[in-house]
Formats: sequence, structure tokens, C-alpha cells
Amino acid sequence: MTALSRRSLLAGTMGASLLAVAGGLTGCASQTSVSTDPRELVLWYWNRSMGPGVLKQAARGIPGTSKFLVSQQPPNTNWDTKLRTSLAGRAYVPDITAINSNVSLYFPDQSMFVDLNQFGAQDLKHRYFPWKWDYGITPNGRMCFFPIDSGPTGFYYRYDIFAKAGLPSEPEAVSASIRTWDDWIEFGRKLKANAGSHMLMDSVQLFSQIINASPERYFSRTGKPLYMNATSAVRDAWNITVRAIKAGILGNQQLATDQNAAWISGKTAGHIEAVWWAQILLSTAPATKGKWRLASQPVRAGNSGGSFLAIPTTCKDPEAAYKFIAWSQTAAHQAQTYNEVQLFPSTPDALTSGIMKDASRGFFGSQNSLDFFKKQAATVPTAFVSPYEQIANFFTTEITNVEAGGKDPDRAWDDAVTQTNRVLQKHGVNL
Amino acid sequence: MTAQTTGVPLRAKPRNTPTAAPRKALRRRFWPQYVAIAPFYILFLVFGAFPIVFSIVISFTDWDGMGAMKFVGLRQYLYLVSDPIFWQSVGNTFIIWFLSTVPMLFLALVIAFLLHQNMRMKSLYRVAFFVPNVTSMVAMAIVFGSVFSDQFGLANSFLQWIGGTSAGVQWLSNPWGIKVTIAIMVIWRYTGYNAIIYLAGLQAISTELYDSARVDGASTWRIFSRITVPLLRPVILFTVITSTIGGLSLFTEPQVLLGNSGGTNNAGMTIVLYQYNQAFTHFDFGYGSAIAWALFVLVLVFAIVNWRLVSGRKENEFGVVTPGMFARFGKRSNAKKEVVR
Repeated sequence: MTALSRRSLLAGTMGASLLAVAGGLTGCASQTSVSTDPRELVLWYWNRSMGPGVLKQAARGIPGTSKFLVSQQPPNTNWDTKLRTSLAGRAYVPDITAINSNVSLYFPDQSMFVDLNQFGAQDLKHRYFPWKWDYGITPNGRMCFFPIDSGPTGFYYRYDIFAKAGLPSEPEAVSASIRTWDDWIEFGRKLKANAGSHMLMDSVQLFSQIINASPERYFSRTGKPLYMNATSAVRDAWNITVRAIKAGILGNQQLATDQNAAWISGKTAGHIEAVWWAQILLSTAPATKGKWRLASQPVRAGNSGGSFLAIPTTCKDPEAAYKFIAWSQTAAHQAQTYNEVQLFPSTPDALTSGIMKDASRGFFGSQNSLDFFKKQAATVPTAFVSPYEQIANFFTTEITNVEAGGKDPDRAWDDAVTQTNRVLQKHGVNL
Repeated sequence: MTAQTTGVPLRAKPRNTPTAAPRKALRRRFWPQYVAIAPFYILFLVFGAFPIVFSIVISFTDWDGMGAMKFVGLRQYLYLVSDPIFWQSVGNTFIIWFLSTVPMLFLALVIAFLLHQNMRMKSLYRVAFFVPNVTSMVAMAIVFGSVFSDQFGLANSFLQWIGGTSAGVQWLSNPWGIKVTIAIMVIWRYTGYNAIIYLAGLQAISTELYDSARVDGASTWRIFSRITVPLLRPVILFTVITSTIGGLSLFTEPQVLLGNSGGTNNAGMTIVLYQYNQAFTHFDFGYGSAIAWALFVLVLVFAIVNWRLVSGRKENEFGVVTPGMFARFGKRSNAKKEVVR
């Protein structure tokens, strides 16, 4: 056998690389849509993000159009990566896609999605919660992301433990005694002293939920950071969280194993989260059934989670796709979807339609969770979620360092600001 | 058979000198072989070479994975050099690598030596030690998460039971606790694998050496330190290199145990986890690729250091500079022949 010379090896490698690049380019010639059948519109969604009844009906024909819906569930893990890959390659792109509550990450590439206002989406605006509707509007005012479900938050707590600690335990009484965050911390101090339980699992949960309930978040609509202002919602949330850490009312449970064990054992007797958390609690701690209640969280409720529907510009028939979206998210259909897969509606009409039945099945004793979250939904503020918020997660990392690592809060804050600003500058943002 | 299809009269061509044939004929004669090896090269081109080349291109851009790529020149690399989290991840990777590799290889060697002895149910032990290596990582992380959980973990319960600290160790939120836990996971998983490799090396050592040592009255420890370890050196070297490669690309353990952000104070953030975190949770593919190439350079430096250490050293017995690892293999076999004779 003749030995491979270095030159031929290099030449071979170069040729191989060129071929590879060429191969990548010819990849663009593959089909754009997942389905080549012009009568089919393909929807990508994940399990329990759409009502099965609606999908089944649309599969037989989307009302008002000549199209049929083909619904597919790509793997749920790495959902965004999968969707981005399709969109980047302009190949095998769905005609309609669900997008999770991290919808703002798609704002920089909004030109890849159809503006739904051209089909009259703005006429439907008044039917949905204004805050939910606004989450789907891009910084320059295009309406690309249509609301599916919403996630108004509340304070979950253990009725029995509160009672044992000699504290108010009925929902109204608890709500009344935690009107401000300082009240909430003081309440937690008593709980800790009398029953040894914590108010919440960790600092990140508290910090994030305070921001979720704030009309001002990390950035302005134009992308300007707000956390460096003399007073900002982020700094307020930070200060409240630091006070809660110092009061010792947070559990410092950083990982799921500890968190779950604490809810089951009652070491953590409260949580602030959206309506969907009830389902998680139900499967994590089924033995605590009937011992939980819901109270209004301090100040006002926020929104946590909730997904959207969007139409990529490669869609075969955007108008028909829009018709499907609008039809699938009517009040009646959202109510039906709640009964099927417990997605909390984004239209108030669904809540008053009388179709929805409380899915908590006695988990909150005699308290009706549906009535509770209906009330909370009315107080959620409108806020702008910036695509840069992903970068600003240095704040949650640093608040964890304060809680778990005993870092000095002021140093942690300065570090969070510096690190966030560095990454922003890398992306060319002027501070 | 293929020669006949070329149409060249067989007798006109001298045999065993294929270089004399025209290139075209040669190409025709060997095409089945090329076709036979083609699947590998095609797959490699698509899933190996293309991503490698493409990641170089991406590392010079600012790209979120779907929109337009913005060429930024060396900005990602300049940022990388001054990025404290990147350097922290490099530090973490080396600390975890050291914490895991040293005890792991030592344990593996001892286990292999014990497995090599004449004992009952030898195969059962061999299988038992290898099982952790084929266990699902995700299932393992759940078990480790429960064992080392800060407040409800088995490890802390045990510590409290034997009367250690009353509060227990914050295994998964203290920076050192996190590193130790990850190192223990790595040790648990790869000790058996390395032990099996050592065992194979041990079996290649002639039993006559052991027998004569025994006859001379050498103790087990003496046999281990004077015969086993020196003769196993090439195998040990191999395991050190594979553990280094594995240690530098550590990803699964911290990811499944602590999530994409690497735990409190980024204490479990390794280089590959940081790269994954930037590319797939921050959708900063440009920076992710730059980290990947920084890792490549680091591994390259390590490989060169390794190679230098191995090839440049003098042999103490003879004072001869040996050219490299493979030459040593040769020398060892010569030595063995001598013993056999």
C-alpha cells in the first residue's frame, strides 16, 4: 500500500470540506413545507398545548376554508432548536406553529412570521386579556403571536400548617394579611418560628414572580436597560428578595429533589406560581390533597407561562392558517380545551361561559380554583418582555449566590449588572 | 475479473506492477473498494466535516440560529478571552477532572489487580464493575440527586447518623460540594470501565513473572508495585489520555444533575456545558462555536504536552531516548521475549 502523502491528505480534506459546504447549500433545494399536499396545513404543537377536540375537528376540515389540519408533535425537549433549525434552513417548516412563553426570543426574527393584523387580528383584541395579547406584539407593533393559554399566578399555601402555626388560614384572611411584600415576609417569619416551615422554595422563584407581576421589567420597548435607573422594578424585586432571604423564610432548595421532598413533607408550606402548577403539585404530592388553598399574592397577580400560535411566512395559505388560529381560540373552544387538558383560557369570555369545570377535584378543599384564578387574571399588569431578558438571567444566578452561597447582596447586584451589560455590548446594544 | 472489463489484453501487461497500468484503468479496477468505503465518508462529510467547517464560519458571526448572520470578525474570540465565566468553566473542568481522574485510575488499578487474582465468581465481579458504565445517565443523575440532596439526601443523613456535622454538607449548592459530587459521579461511572482495560493489560503480562516473584518470596504489594505497575505503563498511559479527553469534554453529569446553568455560582459549569448553554439556551451560536474552538485549542495543547511527556523522556535503564509510545510497546515486547527465553 502506498503511503498517503501530506499534500494529498490536505487536498482530500479541502475537497471534502468544499463538498460538505456544497452539500449544505444544495440542502436549500429541499421542500419548504413539511407537507407538499396543497390541501394540508401542518401544525406543530407539543402535548397539552392545544385541545385535542379542536385538532380532531380541524383534521376533518378547517371551518371556512378548503384546507385540512395535520397536527404533529415534534419532540418536546429542544422545541426551540427544532423550530429554529427548520426556519433557518427554510426546509420542512410547519405552516402553523405553537411557541411557548419564551416568545420574545423570536422578536428579532419577526420578519419570518406573518403579521396577523393583515387578516384582522386587531378586531379580536378586545376578546382577550390585554396583557396576554400584548405579549405577542413585537417591539415595532406587529402582531405575530396569537394567544393560546395564560398563566395568572397566586399564592399556594398549606392550610393545615398555617392553622397549626396559629396564623390566618382561610383564603380571604391570608390574602388580607399579605397585602404587601413586607407583610408577606413578616407572615413568613411567624410561620418559620411557629411551625418551622418556609414560605417559598427558593429566592429565584420569589424574584421571578415579583417581576412577573410588575408592569415594568428589565428593558424598555426600545431595548434600553431599565435596571440601572435610580428606581427600577428589578431593583425593587431584588431588595424584597434579599429581605426575604435574610428573614430566613425561603427554603434554599435549589434542585427538584429537595423541592419535591419539601412540598411532600410540609417543610415548604407555600408557593407562588400560575394555575398550571396545581397539576404538577397534584402529581408530586398527591397525599397533600385537600390541604392546599389559594390566596392572592402581595400587590397584584402576575403571569407565568402560556403559549402562542404563529404562522411562518413560508406557510402555504396564511389566510386559512389564520382562520384556523382564530377559530381554535374562541371562548367556547378555550373553555372546552380547559376541560380537556386544563389550559387556562386567555379570553375572559371562556371563564364566564359556564362550560368550564374546576379541574382541581378537591385538591384545594372546598375552594374553587377556577373562581380564584379568574379573579387574579383581572389584576395582571401589561408588561413588555424583551428578547434580551434571556441575557439578564445573571440576576437570577446572582440572587441564588446570595441565598445559597452567602454572597454580599450589593456585590452580587453589581456583578449581575456588569455581566449583563457585557453580554449586551457584545450583541451591539448601546447602554 | 475487473481486469477483463478494462479491455486491456492481460498478457500485454506485466503482473504485480499495477503502477504500469494507465490511471483510468486503475480507477476502474478499484471502484468497488471505493464504493464499499463510501458510506462512511459520505456520513462523515455530512455529519462530521460539514459541521466542523460550518462552526468555524459561525464563530465569526453573531447568529441566533434562525435569522440573518451578522459577521463580527474576531469579536466573539475577543469577548471569550475576557469572559470570566469562560475562564471559570475552564477552571471547573480541570478541578473536576483532577478530582475524578486521580482516585478513579488508582481505584481501577486496584480493582483490576484484585479481579486478576484467582477468586470465586470472577466473571460476576467483572460484570458488576462494568455495569455502571452502561447505566442510563439520566436515571443515574436522579439517584445521585437524591443521595446528595442538600436537605433530604441519604449522604447527609448518613453523615448526621455517624455524628458528623449537624447541618450536613451542601452537596449541590456549595461550590466544592458540587465539584465533589460531579467527580464522584464520574468515578462511579468510569472506574469499572478503566478496571476492565487494566485487566486486559494485566492478562497480557506473563504469569511466569508472577510465579517467579512468588517463588522468590515477594509480597502482594511488592508484586503489584514492581511488576504490575511498570509493565502496565502503556495501558495506564492510554487510560490517562482517554480520561483527559473525557474529563475535558465533561457535559452530561453536570447537565443532568444541575441543569444548563451549572448550579450555584456556576460551580458545575464545565467548558462543554457553557458552550451548550450559550448555543442552545441563549441561542448565541456564534459564541457557542467560539467556545468550541477554544476547547479544541486547549485539547490540542494538552495532546502536545502529553505527547512530549511520553516521547521525549530518557529510558533510565539504558539511557536511550526512545522516539515514542509505540516504540515503547516494541521495547516491552522485546523485554518479554527475553524473559520467555
